[in-house]
Amino acid sequence: MSGQDIKSRPIYTPLARDPAGRAHLLISDGAAPSPEAFAPGTSAADFAEIWNVMGHSQALPAPLAGSGAQAFRSASHLLDMLRHRLARETMGLRLYAVGAEHFCWDVAGCASAAGMGREEFFLFATGKPSRRVVCVHCRTLNAHVRTNLITCAGCHAQLFVRDHFSRRGNAFMGVQLDAEAPGETIDLEELTS
Amino acid sequence: MMDQPVLALCVAASEALSPTLRRLTLVAADGGRLPPAAAGAHVTLTLSVAGHARPLKNSYTLVSADPERGYTLIVRRTNPSRGGSQHIHEALTVGDGLEASVPHNLFALHSQAKKVLLIGGGIGITPLLAFVAALRARGGRFELHQICSAEEQDTFAALIGAQPGETVHLHAGRASFDAAAVLGAQPLGTHVYSCGPAALMDAIERQAAALGWPASHVHREDFGAAGGEPFTLTIGSSGARIAVAADQTMLEALEAAGIDAGSLCRGGACGVCAVPVRAGELEHRDHYLSAQERQSGGLVMPCVSRARGDSLVLDI
Repeated sequence: MSGQDIKSRPIYTPLARDPAGRAHLLISDGAAPSPEAFAPGTSAADFAEIWNVMGHSQALPAPLAGSGAQAFRSASHLLDMLRHRLARETMGLRLYAVGAEHFCWDVAGCASAAGMGREEFFLFATGKPSRRVVCVHCRTLNAHVRTNLITCAGCHAQLFVRDHFSRRGNAFMGVQLDAEAPGETIDLEELTS
Repeated sequence: MMDQPVLALCVAASEALSPTLRRLTLVAADGGRLPPAAAGAHVTLTLSVAGHARPLKNSYTLVSADPERGYTLIVRRTNPSRGGSQHIHEALTVGDGLEASVPHNLFALHSQAKKVLLIGGGIGITPLLAFVAALRARGGRFELHQICSAEEQDTFAALIGAQPGETVHLHAGRASFDAAAVLGAQPLGTHVYSCGPAALMDAIERQAAALGWPASHVHREDFGAAGGEPFTLTIGSSGARIAVAADQTMLEALEAAGIDAGSLCRGGACGVCAVPVRAGELEHRDHYLSAQERQSGGLVMPCVSRARGDSLVLDI
């Protein structure tokens, strides 16, 4: 059941500054964006404004300046400020998100909710695979999934984690492992992507 | 080529809004229901004009389209007229029958837009009037800028009928409209729709791109970029030669010669009338062919494009 060829699985292209944009905001869920997120010839220094997640209770952002680097205490803190910022932005902004896949798609969700189109934000998922998985049977969202099999935190079903990804729901699909053939099992594996 | 069903219509009302603007209301000739159409749709009228051997086809935006109350459109008398607008202003009267294509929409409102910016030049106001009605009905946020001559400001203001709380600006002439300032002040999620002279829409497109607007948020409606130097068309299969006059489009010349080229928007947007080219240099004016298709010179949209030079051979 590995090597699933599922078209909804996003493919990420290394980031470069979109020359058509008027302003550029780079967002990462770490203390600094991972260098592997950038296309050759591009680095974090090419982006006028960078927001990072420090993961520290002492992190306090300065008043939103429109340039330079900002530190946020958590991803939730950053996403809240992003919604606030996008509601006051004018046309021409480009967003770039680097980090865990679910974080990138949280940023994409903020962008879509603000009316940004698919040409206005760019994502690059990095780091160890860590998925948000929705149980199709009880709708529970299971966070930080690193294996192909999990026990749903909501209904305790044994779920097989498919590569089927919902951009709107920002979650992979988890389906009861033996839904088709009762009693069927497979080996537990670490997710590789 | 798509089969184009024809509607049999009848003029229910015709009223002069100004010396050059006339509003027509068209209903189904048999009293039945008309096909509905979303804001931004147009129809192509077939007009039997005195002095023309074959009927003329002109496309007009629907200002409103109610299946029972009928379609309304506003026609500007052009000077010089190729016959169509003059016919509508002077000859067509209540009770007259005429044929029309079913409505087609190449200029629909984006359902996810947070705000809609409408920019009209002159008679380009017609789709914007349909948009305003649709946006009012759905509670959509919009801002309207209409550019017109000082003499027509009152007429256009009355057509728009701005309501309290709406952002509506009438500009007397292009010079008093600052595209950069207007486009630069729009919130994320805005879609701009422009309709008017090509130079105005080109300027808006350029300015929007310079301010970082993605192309998917910039919409324009082109109608009848006719006219240019006269030239001669040669039909590849028969060798027949057809003169295209300075005030005529290639499509009109083909139709006048009895060749049914098939068309839809007649404004270079839909691609239905595209014909293959065997020889001759082209001046592409459409918004349908890709840069690559233009480069190869194998296709032309006769509704708006012309020959660059005095002859063109079509592969039909």
